[in-house]
Amino acid sequence: MMNFVLKKLKVIWAVALVTYKEWSAYRTHAMVSIFVGPVYFIVQYFIWSAVYSGKTSLNGLELSEMLKYFGVTTLIGYLTMDFADWNLQMLVRTGKFLTFAIRPIHHRFFALSQKIGHRVLGLLFEFLPCLFIFTFVFRVNLRPANYGWAVISVILAFFMNLYMNYLIGMTAFWLVQASGVRSVYLLLQSVFSGGLVPLVFFPEALQKVLLFLPFQYVSYVPAMVFIGRYTLGNISLPIPQIVGLQALAVLITALVNELVYRLSMKRFTGVGA
Amino acid sequence: MLKKYLLIYFECIKISVSTAITYRLNFLLDNFIMIVSNILFPLVTLLIYGSGAEFPGWSLYEVLLIQAVFTMSTAVANIFFNGLLWATMHHVIDGSLEIVLIKPVDCLFYLIASTVDFSSTSLLIGGIIMFAVALSHVGAVTALMVLQFIVLFLAGVCVMMGISLIMAATSFKWVGNSRLPEIFNSIKYFGRYPQNIFPKAISAFTSFIIPVAMIGYFPAAALLGEADVTAFAIILPCLAFTAAGVLLFRHMVHLYEGVGG
Repeated sequence: MMNFVLKKLKVIWAVALVTYKEWSAYRTHAMVSIFVGPVYFIVQYFIWSAVYSGKTSLNGLELSEMLKYFGVTTLIGYLTMDFADWNLQMLVRTGKFLTFAIRPIHHRFFALSQKIGHRVLGLLFEFLPCLFIFTFVFRVNLRPANYGWAVISVILAFFMNLYMNYLIGMTAFWLVQASGVRSVYLLLQSVFSGGLVPLVFFPEALQKVLLFLPFQYVSYVPAMVFIGRYTLGNISLPIPQIVGLQALAVLITALVNELVYRLSMKRFTGVGA
Repeated sequence: MLKKYLLIYFECIKISVSTAITYRLNFLLDNFIMIVSNILFPLVTLLIYGSGAEFPGWSLYEVLLIQAVFTMSTAVANIFFNGLLWATMHHVIDGSLEIVLIKPVDCLFYLIASTVDFSSTSLLIGGIIMFAVALSHVGAVTALMVLQFIVLFLAGVCVMMGISLIMAATSFKWVGNSRLPEIFNSIKYFGRYPQNIFPKAISAFTSFIIPVAMIGYFPAAALLGEADVTAFAIILPCLAFTAAGVLLFRHMVHLYEGVGG
């Protein structure tokens, strides 16, 4: 058992390190976020300051919580960002997936290790500089209501994003060119994960539907865990419960993922990539 | 000379249309994705007004009018000159810009003409519909207001073009950075909202330095009967911005070195 874990850790370390080094060459691309993130935040700041004028709370959120929400979703985005869908789809379409199918490690595990390396880069060149700017220049209070739950929720969001994107990437085994599916999914995710506006702003009927969809666990749930209370579709849950629900959602997505992966392996054919 | 350029331009448009007809499904999908991904930002405005809040002094349709004008400007830019960035970036990465440079036409003209792309037609139509709906809710519009709108809208399109040129010029040095548009999109974001929500320093920046306020706000203000002398004075920085883009792009082409792709 111990050997098994050690071996896995060694794989993660090796793949993550190589990915980190590979993408370090393009670190200035990641650093675009240091400009873009704060600029979007400034616009949000003035939009919501104007919208809140004369109002103390909108849909149960105060202005300071709203700003915290946007700051936190931006920062969480840097930690959980993922392109497993794009990558897997490219591997399937070009046939390069063959070289992964014959390796003695699961490709999803490889993708996870890659993501860890890539996100360490995001942590250094996107998350930390923007955290610094938000906290010391814009003076936004980004302290989570409870550090423990916030960290767990962000880690779960990290996995949720990976599993969902991997699932979308696997559609390529059936469709070969799955960029249309990807665009549609990315679009749905950008609206319904709460990145655009907190989900409590949507009509109540839609909020009820969103309760049962995976999108909220990527961004809205961890952001609300930071703020310290969770409401959607008139249902309020205590933080430990919503994080538990998030863990359950991640588990279900992981199981569906494995099931679809096994089905895809029966479909996949390739000749010498 | 002018006739030759016009002929080339129409030939390029013909090619672009035939490509769209040949790859019909792809063309329709591109159009669909383009419109759906752009209806997101009026959605935020709708949700804000839907929850009983507002931008002080602005009705829902007035804000939507600004955003409709912005959408139309984006569509025009996408169709007629936003392909410039990707074409330039591609040539710089491949080192194949010489192939364009040795042609007996102006390099910038050729790059813009050959990348005309009608995938944003749906966005243009969507923008116009949204514009018509918003306009029908904001009160009477006089012929003078329409004239003012057209002038300011064209100035806004010039700003879009300037941004496109500056991005393309940057791609000569910052090679292969597909995140370049994000930088300018974030600045353009200021142009999508009523300018009086921003402090003076920011609206001075969005009016005189990088005049993104001209893309959506000022043309819409003209239709609301609120275009004053300032709005027209800002046409000047808009033209200067475009000119700066052209000069910068030409300068970068001048610096370009290649050894035959």
